This record gives sequence, structure tokens and C-alpha cells, in this order.
Amino acid sequence: MKKKNLLLARRLTGRHASLWVSVLAILLMLVTAGILLLAMGKNPLAAFRSFLQGCGMLPKENYGGGSGMLTDLLDFLNYLAPLILASLAFIAAFKAGLFNIGISGQMMLAGFTATVLVGYNKALSPVIAKPLVLLIGLVVGGLTGALIGYLKYRFNIHEVVSTIMLNYIISYLTGFFINNNYVDMMTRNSRTCTPEARLTLTNVMIGDLKGKIPLGLIIAILVALLVSFVFRKTVLGFEIKAVGMNRRCSQYTGIRVSRIILLSMGFSGAIAGLAGVAYYLGYTNTIIPKSLPGMGYDSISVALLGSGSPIGALFAAVVVSIFQQGANYMSSSIGVAKEIASLITGILLLFASCGNYMKFRAERKIQQAADLAPRSVPAPAAGKPGDRGVKTL
Amino acid sequence: MSDYKSDYIVEMRHITKRFPGIIANDDVSLEIRKGEVYALLGENGAGKSTLMSILFGTYEPDEGEILVNGKPVKFHSSTDATACGIGMVHQHFKLVEPFTIAENIVLGVEPEEKKLGILPWVNIRKANQQIAELSRAYGLEVNPTDRIADVPVSVRQRVEILKMLYRGAEIMIFDEPTAVLTPQEIDFLLQIIDNLRKDGKTIILITHKIAEIKRVADRCAILRQGRLIDIREVADASAQELADLMVGRQVKFMLEKTAPQFRAPVLEVQGLTVKNEHKFDVVKDVSFTVHGGEIFAIAGVSGNGQGEIADAIAGLLKAASGKVLLNGKDITAMPVRERALAGLSYIPEDRHETGTIPDMMLRENLALREYYKEPFSRRGILHQEAFRSYSEQLIQTYDIRCAQGPETVLRSMSGGNQQKAIVGREIEEQTDLIIFVQPTRGLDIGAIENIHRQILQERERGAAILLISLELEEIMALADTIGVLYRGEILKIDAAEKMTTQEVGRYMMGVKEA
Amino acid sequence: MNKVFTDGLSFALPLLIMAIGALYSEKSGVTNLAVEGFQGVGAFFGALAATLFAPLIGNGNQAIIYIAMVCAAIGGALFSCIHGLLCIRFRANQVISGVVINILSVALTAFCTSAANAAISGNASNKFVLDVSSKFTVPLLSKIPWIGGLFTDMYPFEIIIAVLVVVLWYLMNRTRFGMRLRACGENPQAVDAAGANVTRIRWMAVIISGALSGIGGICFAYSLLGNFSPSIYQGFGYLAIAAMIFGNWNIGPTTLACLAFGLAKSGGLQLCIAAKLPSNYTDLFLLLPYVLTLLLLIFFSRKNHPPKAAGEPWDKSKR
Repeated sequence: MKKKNLLLARRLTGRHASLWVSVLAILLMLVTAGILLLAMGKNPLAAFRSFLQGCGMLPKENYGGGSGMLTDLLDFLNYLAPLILASLAFIAAFKAGLFNIGISGQMMLAGFTATVLVGYNKALSPVIAKPLVLLIGLVVGGLTGALIGYLKYRFNIHEVVSTIMLNYIISYLTGFFINNNYVDMMTRNSRTCTPEARLTLTNVMIGDLKGKIPLGLIIAILVALLVSFVFRKTVLGFEIKAVGMNRRCSQYTGIRVSRIILLSMGFSGAIAGLAGVAYYLGYTNTIIPKSLPGMGYDSISVALLGSGSPIGALFAAVVVSIFQQGANYMSSSIGVAKEIASLITGILLLFASCGNYMKFRAERKIQQAADLAPRSVPAPAAGKPGDRGVKTL
Repeated sequence: MSDYKSDYIVEMRHITKRFPGIIANDDVSLEIRKGEVYALLGENGAGKSTLMSILFGTYEPDEGEILVNGKPVKFHSSTDATACGIGMVHQHFKLVEPFTIAENIVLGVEPEEKKLGILPWVNIRKANQQIAELSRAYGLEVNPTDRIADVPVSVRQRVEILKMLYRGAEIMIFDEPTAVLTPQEIDFLLQIIDNLRKDGKTIILITHKIAEIKRVADRCAILRQGRLIDIREVADASAQELADLMVGRQVKFMLEKTAPQFRAPVLEVQGLTVKNEHKFDVVKDVSFTVHGGEIFAIAGVSGNGQGEIADAIAGLLKAASGKVLLNGKDITAMPVRERALAGLSYIPEDRHETGTIPDMMLRENLALREYYKEPFSRRGILHQEAFRSYSEQLIQTYDIRCAQGPETVLRSMSGGNQQKAIVGREIEEQTDLIIFVQPTRGLDIGAIENIHRQILQERERGAAILLISLELEEIMALADTIGVLYRGEILKIDAAEKMTTQEVGRYMMGVKEA
Repeated sequence: MNKVFTDGLSFALPLLIMAIGALYSEKSGVTNLAVEGFQGVGAFFGALAATLFAPLIGNGNQAIIYIAMVCAAIGGALFSCIHGLLCIRFRANQVISGVVINILSVALTAFCTSAANAAISGNASNKFVLDVSSKFTVPLLSKIPWIGGLFTDMYPFEIIIAVLVVVLWYLMNRTRFGMRLRACGENPQAVDAAGANVTRIRWMAVIISGALSGIGGICFAYSLLGNFSPSIYQGFGYLAIAAMIFGNWNIGPTTLACLAFGLAKSGGLQLCIAAKLPSNYTDLFLLLPYVLTLLLLIFFSRKNHPPKAAGEPWDKSKR
């Protein structure tokens, strides 16, 4: 038993520590969710299977005409694209030590602007409309993010508070305009966009199945690669990371901290804007007034589960999407309220946020084992806790 | 010296304390007599403070036992130790800045009363009175209603001593009490310690300064790397003997320093004033010049504007008025990076907060001055190979010990090696001006010698050196010129050989013309 | 005009009790962005208790509100333990912890509400319908010109909160517990050296914060909303935090900030009604408190002094 514990500890401190922390968080989440489902008298395995079935990863018992596993999978990917982008937005700010909690609002504002300016314009050809939608997403989101960065460094306003305030301002403001000018009287939501502007191709025939092709997914993967490149290879990425890890030392080395804060919040907002257009002009094709997309918050779970890595976020987004997108089918086939999907995501987030503690405990455990082992060599020259413990070497 | 009572007031037997990866105390046994001044001598990191923190209940020992007045005791917290009459003045004072002196003293033993028989409240007015009386009785004058944030270091130390007296401590531990004081304040403190002994208190003095031990201590235990090396009667041991025991080898007390050869002025500070956020002048109209080949040292008690002067010269703080010239060029309005490129390097006071990014790797930390230049990056793209080879070179040159080479995460390295890395990084820039702030804080003698040698080497090279230190010994040993700072003003500038330690000390306390 | 004061006060006081909750936690050194979550979960527990107990004590009996308030306090306190666990025990980043808790609380209450409703009535609705609390008018005070509105049509909970605020001020500024709590947020090492238990004090502060937020949440449910539903999450918790920031972590000025928010909100709404604008336009006035918050933050954030040790996990081995 002791030995096995140490094996886990080694994994949690080794080269792929972050990966193992995520795996552990997912396992803990599955166990917790399983217990929850058992307590409700449901079979957890059947429930998990139906989540996968709902996402087109396992075959369902029967399908309607023109739809099949591939249709579900494409729907799943259509949901996945904005989630990946949203989590990349969170990561871009997080690396600079900033918490962009306002991704929902930035998504909504970008989606709304693109819908109004391009989505209702029947004259534009798809070749112009689609890039224009992306551009508007980038600019609107980027400006919103930069505003938050400006408030942060110029007026010392905590970004968590300012983003939340902006969320509600955006939500009420767009809600007002939708209700006044763009409402669809049947659904009480905004009117749908033209297919030319939409970032998801609908009713594409693949063999005898009808499916959706999410163009947003391509953009999401490209942005993930780009963000990953920026943080691993560029001077800018290095400076953003430096600011995130130690603001004062960054200032000391001559990095212009205010510029970095503005830039990284701007990037974050721009990517959130892309997520917004991929969500509103791709996945939903309509805006529910005064209802911020929950995806903005799920993106935080994804980013933390991917331990802040853009590539990690790609995989983490799949895990979270399975629960969110598979919830409807699970609900109808097992009979558990579909709100459980958000709860599961929340529990996952809870465990993912304990990642550092897991690593810390694992280090402690290995250290204790080393200290207890017969002392053949002098103790390693690590500092005492705190920085004052100095040993002659 | 001969009339010790036979019984021991404190006995620590076979104390062992481990921290992850380190043994802080290894089978240490001490017996302390009532009414003596017992010194614990050892270098930084020898385990003195840990041992006394165990006696004070902050840590619990892994092995061993403690007896107080012959009775075995087990301390789970400082409350238990306080109940046994043990008090401690920590090296870093444990004070709450926005609280008043009285509030700080009563914290933990607040005089709680019942208003109208039910409502509990802290009667701070009564405490104020008690403390005023107590402070008069022991010659430790303080005003109980002053806020800690507004009083100088020496008063804060009095507050810490009053804390122990207020709790009725019989055994008083002082952890490096003189590190932050002027020579005159040290005299005063040692007098207080002597008075306390005459009053029947038992004093344990943690220090690495042998002169102080010779002045007040009766006996002295020497610790090295967590082990008890020896226990000596102070009267029978010479200073040289004690020093050799502490370090474990022959110690040279004097640095070899050549006669100064001043070159052209490099740094000229003219009427520099820096304001803090309350618009208060923390640096007031400061002017001085540092020449190439000169070590200009700024002496002063902690918190008199030293850090702000350095930050203002390096560009981390804005000057409210005045000018800073580097090689004759006005750099007052330049951003940080341009100043560095103009020929300025800076070893800041705080290693973790300012000098490094602890969560990054050593190779990144070593390249913090270079990463944006070729060959470290080209057109905004980083070249890791350049980082690696550069850091390998610095690791060699400056003898930086690191477990995983350039890939070592800085946080995991010892303080001494972190400092070596910072000093190496800054010296490697070969700039005309190098600012050292507290360069040897918390380091052991070997590391201190090493850094002092490097400072002198840079002086030989012809660099101008601005040394800011709280250690008067360090300043007297290295400086060519000394400026004394008091409440943000430079009270005196003179050649080092013309000033005595006592004189500098007087200026440090604000006495203008001595 | 009276209506502005009446509504303003009934919005300001629940906000204030939440702000004081946040203040207790932050003064002890635990950054608390989780108020939003605490108040939602607290309100859920209160509303659940009300739904369960209402038939037992007779529908329409106003005593149910007090039961709900007690349960909301307990629920908020229980839920705040997660924040305590993450911040104090697991030494997680306190900002992340706050955000995590807020996200978790929305999911948790949404799921539990439909599960509870399904179990109670068979209908998996996402809200508990509550009566709006009855009101009363203070006889003489309400006749005072200008500010009489403050004492007109009061909810009983307003009195409870006002009393609580006084008690909490006293506890923070005059008692041994309060003194130690404030010291914990400035220099926990000093508290530890003085022999008090930093960990325990911070736990108590976080739990107090959860309980107070829970009370704030259920008061909103019983006044502004008249139900418990996902609409309890309207960022009131964040408004409370903003009020605490304006108040520079002091109870007195925080009270004024909350009153300003309350009056801005009710004033805006009355203006909208007085101008006879279509109902759509209420949205524009509903966003007034949020805009006001941002503007005030711009003017007040630069100079404020949060407790020095807030946000830093307490580690005994560090000196």
C-alpha cells in the first residue's frame, strides 16, 4: 500500500506532473459523480455511457431518419469549438496572472455585434461575411478585454470585479437592444442569422446522413497552436509569463508591465470574441436576451483542468463537452435532470483547483520517504521552508 | 561568575528537528542556569533560531525532550511556552503595523472585561496605563497609543521586549537583536539585557556577532550545521577561538583592499526627492557622486529611505524632483530598461520579490537582462540553446550550485545560491555602475566573503559601486566613501577612513554635527 | 420619492450584510470573492426549508421567514467550508477558489432545486415560489419629512440586519476575537507568536462570512425576487465586494456605499416609471448599479488598503 502511494506521488512530481494531476482530478470527479448517481438510485456506468452516446462517441439504440452517430459527433464538435476558444481566452489572461471571468460577457457582446452587423445583412456573400464575422469578434472582444486591462493597471480595479460588472452591463444592454429591435416574436430570442454569415455549415449531406460542419473548430485548433507557440517560443510570451509570475521582478528587468497587462487582456478578450461568434453564429445561431452563456464559466474548468496549457485545453475541453453536450440524451434516457452536467463540471473544477496541493503533498511524501531512508548521503541542499534557511554547500 | 545556582532553569535534551530535506537540529542538548546570559553562536542556517523556536513552542521537536525548572514539558504552541514563563523577541518582529503599541503588546493576552456584566470587551485604556508604567520601570520608554507603523525600528524592538515583560516572562530569548540597530542603540540594548539579568531574568542570546557575546554573555554554545559543536565559558575563550569554532575553519577578519583609485564620476545624484503614496518625502533632497573605482556606501537604520534611493536610481520609482546622471547623461526620465542599457546593474534587497522570478528556471533567471537581445532571441523568437549555454557559463564562473543545472527551478535553490545567481547575472553585464542593496543578508560567512571579494573585484575593474547596507561592519570593511542616511536625508558624506563606527552610528540616529 | 428610500433600503441592507461577510473573511486574511456563491447556496437552503416547513406551520404564516433565515445562515456557513478547505487547508489560490465556488454554487443549486422539486411535487421546476415578506411602517419616524421613506413599508428582516450590523461592528472592533481576527489579516505570524490559533480564527471568519452571505441571499429571495431561482445570481455578491472596497474594509463607510447602491437602483427604477417608459427600458435602469460600481471603483480603487496578508495562505513553517 505504502509503495503504491509513493508511485502516485512520483507521478505527481515527475515530468508530466500536470497531466497526472488532471487525470487524478477526472478520476476523482468520476467517483464523486458516480456516488451522486448511485445515491439517486441510478446506475453510474449506464449514465456515463449515455453521456458518450449523446456525443456520438458510442452508438445509440436507434436513430431518426438522416441522423446517426456521425451527426451527434458533429454536433458535439460544433459545441466543442467555442468552448476551446473560450478556454484559450482564459489561459491567455491567466498566464499574465489575470482572471478573465468576463468571457461570457465578451462572447455575448462580440456575438451580438457580429449578428447585428453581418448576420442580418442578406447582401453579403459567404466569402466576405464569414471572415468579417471573425474580424468583428476579434475586434469587439479585444477592445472589451483591453478596457478591463486598462482599468486594472490605471485604476487598480480587480479584474474579477470589473469583468463581472461588465458582464451584467453587456447582458442588460444587449438584452435591451434585442428586445427593442431584433426580437423574433415566436421564440422571444434574437432573429437567426443568414446562412452566409454562419460559421457552421448546416444540412451538409455526408453519405446518407445530414450533418453540420463547424468551421469554428478549425479556427479553435489554429488558435490553440498559435497560443501555444506564443508562450513557448516568443519574447512576448516570455514577458507575459514573467509578469504573471512576478510583477515586481518584471518591472525590475525593464518589462513594461502596464503594456503587458493591456496586451494580454486584449488577447484574452479577442479570443473570447472569437469564441462568441463561434458560439452565437455557429452553435446556437440566436441570442437569448439577458442570458449569459454558461460556457464562459465552463471555460475556466477547462483551462484549469488543462493546467493552463493551450494543448492541454484541447483535451480538457473534450472531457467537459462530453458532459455538457451529452446531458440532454442522458437526461432523456436515464431520467436525471440535465443540470447534473454543470454540477459535474463544477466538481471537476473543484478538484482541478486543488492541483497544486496534490503536487505539494506528493513532494512532501517523497521527501519524507527520503528523510526516513537510512542516511548514507548528506541531506540534499534544498532550502528550508522560507528563504532564510541557508546551508553551506 | 562563580555563584551559579546549581539547578538548571531550562534543559533541552537530544533535540532533533527535521524539515523536508534538511535536518535543522541534530541531537542538540543544552542546560541553562537561572539568571545567566547564555549565548547561542552560529552562522545563518546553523539551526539556532529553530532550536529556540522549539523552546518557544513554535515548532515541536521530532525527538528529544525539554525540561523547565526540572519538570518535563511539552509545548504545542507559544501559548504553552508563555505559560511556563518563556518569551522571545524574534529577528523579524511579530508586530501588527496598523495596531497601537499597547494593542500589539496585549495581543493574545487581552485584558477582557464584561461591560454591564455580559458584554465582553477589551479594556485598552487600562492596558495603556499598565504598559506606560511597565515601560518606565524598565527604562524602555514608549507611548502606548502610537501606531507601530509610525515608530522606528528601535522602538519596535522595545515593544517586543515589553511584550515579554507584560506576560511575566522569566526566560527571555533574543534572536539576533542587534542586527537592525545603530552602535549606540546596541549599547543601550546590551545595558537593558544586563539590567534584566540583574533583575533575575534568564537571557538566551542568539547571535553571530562575537563582540556582543564577549560583552554580555556568561556562557556560549556553538552550533554549526544543526549540530552542537561546543559549550564554552565566555571569559575563558578568545574571540578568534569562538569564530573558528563557529565557522569550522580559520577565519580571516580583514579583507585585503587596495588603496582607492578614483576615476571620472559615473553616478551623480542631484537633489533627489522621492515621495511615497501618502505624498510623504521618503527621500529628501539627496545629492552625492560616485566615481569609477569607488565604493560609495550608504549607511542607515532600516526604513530610512535606502530602498527608495536605489529604486529611484534604477527607475523602479519615480523621482518627485532632482536629477540622476549616469556618465554625465541625464537618466531621470528614462524607463528601467534604457537605464540598464545605459550602464546600470542592480542587485536588489529582496531576492524573491524583486531579484528573481522564483517559479522560472535558473537559465531564464540568469538571462533576465539579456533575453530580448541577440542571440537569445531574434525577431521576437526565443532561442533556448543560447539560454542554456549562457547559463552554463555563469554557473561555472560564479560557482552556482544547482541540482538540475540550467533547468533547476530557482525556488528550489538555497538562498546563497540564488544570491550568487543574481550577483553573477548583474556583474556579467560589466556595467559602469553597480548598485548592491543588502547583498549579504542572510548568508553564511563563506558566501559573504565570496560576495565581498566580487564587489572589490568590480571596484578594481573601475566600476562605480553604490553599496547600501544595514550592516555597519560591512560598510566599514568595504566603503571608500560613506554617506549616512537618516529619515530620507543624507546627513554626512565623508571618506571612510575619516569616520569611526561610533561616529557613523551617531549620524544614523540623526545627530547632525557630532 | 418615499418609494425610492423604501426600496433603496430594502436592497441596501441585504447587500450590506453580505459585504460585512466578505469583510470578516478578508480582514482575517482570506480573500473572498465567493460571496456570490455563498448567498445563492444560503438562499437555496432557506428556500428549501421554507418550502418544506410552510405546510407544517400553516401557509401564509410569516414566521416561516425566520426559519428560512436561520437555515440560510446555516446553509451558507456549511457551503463556505469549501472555501475554507481550499484556501486554508489546501492553500489554493484564493481568487481561483472564490471563482470555483461561485461556478459550483450555480450548478449545485440548479441541480438540487429541480431534484428537490421533483421529489416534493413531482414537477422538476427550477424555482421555489416564496411569498414576499409582509411589511410594516414605523409609526412616528415614517412621518419625518424627506427621510420618512426609510421607515415606511419596511421588511422585518431590515431590522434584524440593522441589529446584526451593530453587533458585528462591536465584535470586530471591541472584542478579543475581533482584535485577533484583524491582526490575522495583517500579520498572522504575530498572532501565532502571541499564542492564538491563526487557522482557527480564519476558519471562523470564513464561516461567519458564509452565514452572513446566506442571510443576505434569503432576504433578496423574500423581497426583490419573491422566489428562489437561478435569478438569485445577479452579481449582488460582487456588488457587495465592491461596496467593501469603497468602504476600505471598514464597516462604517461600507454601510454608506451599500446605501448609495440601493438608492441608485431604486432611484433609477422610479425614474423609469415616472417617465412612463415602456417596460423594455427597465433593463437600461437595471444596469445602473453596475455602471455606478465601475465608476466608483475608478475613483476609489487606487488609494485603498486591503489587509496586508489577505490572499496569502498561512504557513506556520514560514517566518
